[in-house]
Amino acid sequence: MTFIADARKLMRENIRDYGMYIALFIIMAVFTITTDGVFISSRNIVNLVNQTGYIAVLAVGMTMIIVIRHIDLSVGFLAGFLGAATAIAMVFWHWSVFAAILFALGLGVLAGLLTAFLVAQLGIPSFVATLAGWLGYRGALQLVTRSTGTIVIPNDTFNAIGNGFIPDIPAPFMPEMHKLTLLLGLLGILLFVWNELSRRKKLQAYDFEVLPTEMFILKLAFVSILIGAIAWVLAGYRGLSWTAVIVILVVIVYDFITTKTVLGRHIYAVGGNPEAAELSGISVKRITFLVFASMGLLSALSGILFASRLQSATTTAGTLFELDAIAAAFVGGVSAAGGVGKVTGAIIGALVMTSLTSGMNLMGIDISYQYIVRALVLAAAVIFDVATRNTKQ
Amino acid sequence: MESTTQTRSPVVEMRGIKKNFGAVQALRGVDLVLRRNEVLGLVGDNAAGKSTLMKTLSGAYTPDAGGIFLEGKQVHFSSPLDARRQGIEMVYQDYALANNLDVAANVFLGREAVSLNLGSISVMDHHFMEQETKRLMDRLKIRIDSVRQKVERLSGGQRQAVAIARATAFNAKVIIMDEPTAALSVAAIAKVLDLIRELKTQGVSIIIVSHRLEDIYQVGDRMMVLRHGRKVHDSPIEGDIHEFRERAVAYMVGARDDYPLAETA
Repeated sequence: MTFIADARKLMRENIRDYGMYIALFIIMAVFTITTDGVFISSRNIVNLVNQTGYIAVLAVGMTMIIVIRHIDLSVGFLAGFLGAATAIAMVFWHWSVFAAILFALGLGVLAGLLTAFLVAQLGIPSFVATLAGWLGYRGALQLVTRSTGTIVIPNDTFNAIGNGFIPDIPAPFMPEMHKLTLLLGLLGILLFVWNELSRRKKLQAYDFEVLPTEMFILKLAFVSILIGAIAWVLAGYRGLSWTAVIVILVVIVYDFITTKTVLGRHIYAVGGNPEAAELSGISVKRITFLVFASMGLLSALSGILFASRLQSATTTAGTLFELDAIAAAFVGGVSAAGGVGKVTGAIIGALVMTSLTSGMNLMGIDISYQYIVRALVLAAAVIFDVATRNTKQ
Repeated sequence: MESTTQTRSPVVEMRGIKKNFGAVQALRGVDLVLRRNEVLGLVGDNAAGKSTLMKTLSGAYTPDAGGIFLEGKQVHFSSPLDARRQGIEMVYQDYALANNLDVAANVFLGREAVSLNLGSISVMDHHFMEQETKRLMDRLKIRIDSVRQKVERLSGGQRQAVAIARATAFNAKVIIMDEPTAALSVAAIAKVLDLIRELKTQGVSIIIVSHRLEDIYQVGDRMMVLRHGRKVHDSPIEGDIHEFRERAVAYMVGARDDYPLAETA
């Protein structure tokens, strides 16, 4: 009895957090059934993860932007432009992969700082400032690719970022499985369990409320099985892709910064109440610069992932990325009112949106209907957000 | 009684404060003394200069003339943050809390405890901040379910209590409260007044700006009345509430005006 009561209480208190996980689970289950299991096949999931990558990193940055009550429409064409810049540096200037990537990332940060200058220093609404960016970077992309058209990137190292997989460890057993991926999955589970246990112990030592024991065990089991299942599915094809590695690293770094550091706390404070933050000695301007610079950096990363995946820089790269990223951020639980939204949510949101596309493609659903379905999911996510917000008060 | 109040050393003194906004003389040479462990009620009609005076004391405005002395030493505040660092805390009427953050986060906002110092990305010491907040809430007898509760889920009275607790958390010398009971229910007002009494027993010096004379009567030691940018009355709070109210209102509206004119007038 108490177990069910606990479960209900937990559900009620965390419905906002759990909602999108449930949504993702339902979407995946539905597509698995309607496609006779093709959706959940290793090959499709790996493909799905790689497709999500370049939107997922943008969604992480966009979540931070929306948390501080701004928006960035320029990220799509900025990503496209910076992907082209990387290609040009490698193909025409014969730079090394490493130098070209650093060059693009640096340009991304500069572009972010420029936006921040317009927004924080000159007080231009971010919608307008980044709309100008959208136009400007679109023009820049066309300009640098005009004489050449699509720039093919012949570099295997670079193309591995979007298409390659981590190497496997040689072992005599399980020949068809990717051992290193399984090992990493196991490591992930152990890290998660260890982290949860030590946190729980600490909280109990300080007399803080913790989950009831059964719930805690259930949570551990659920997440462990989830990580294990993902690792198992990925290992069934070619293992963890480099794109997945990059996305996981971005999530780890951003999750750490937003939840553990003073900077993260200040970002959310600025989003929650800029006046109060300023009075507390937090420079809203400085936070705005940092968040836009990070958005620029992630735009560059997105452009690199996309160019690598296509093994070329195209004249229209990045088209509508910004809207996909914004949709992913909102599906992932970011609130338009500011101050609310998690990095992990952004990733789940991006996965939801790409799962929809992938699943409907497998089902052979007409593209027009696909847009409408995605529109409904986005609207539902925001309605859910508003509804769960109101019940609180 | 009065002699002990008089002999207690002033924690803050404002002397001959003048502030003009264009042609408008908002403050025309105001003196203010707040003694240690004293609750001073600052009253006055709208545009009497109360908030200008308090904004000057809390660092939002720089006075055109006059000086501010903190524990006998002259100080200059470049910003509210600067004033706060020197020991003057302001509790704003709208609480100035980040509603999306929890109680502990708000108490430590801008002054986060750090377990690993890495400059901008220093790692916060969550447990220390939560424990300290819990201790602070217990000490001030503020009742909330958990310091991890988000502020948006608290009642108005609880929010005000958190805002006040936050002002006291870092050993402020002076706490200014701007209309601390303005937006509260009757029950919540009683709780906030209890909290102010509790702070007084713990030795805090407080200035309360309020339209609610009964609040000032209940918790104040002394009342100061401003009118048209001048101090028109300054006396200990005594007698019954009707007499007190009549006296306060008479000075506020200018029916009585017998304060010895300062040389700055």
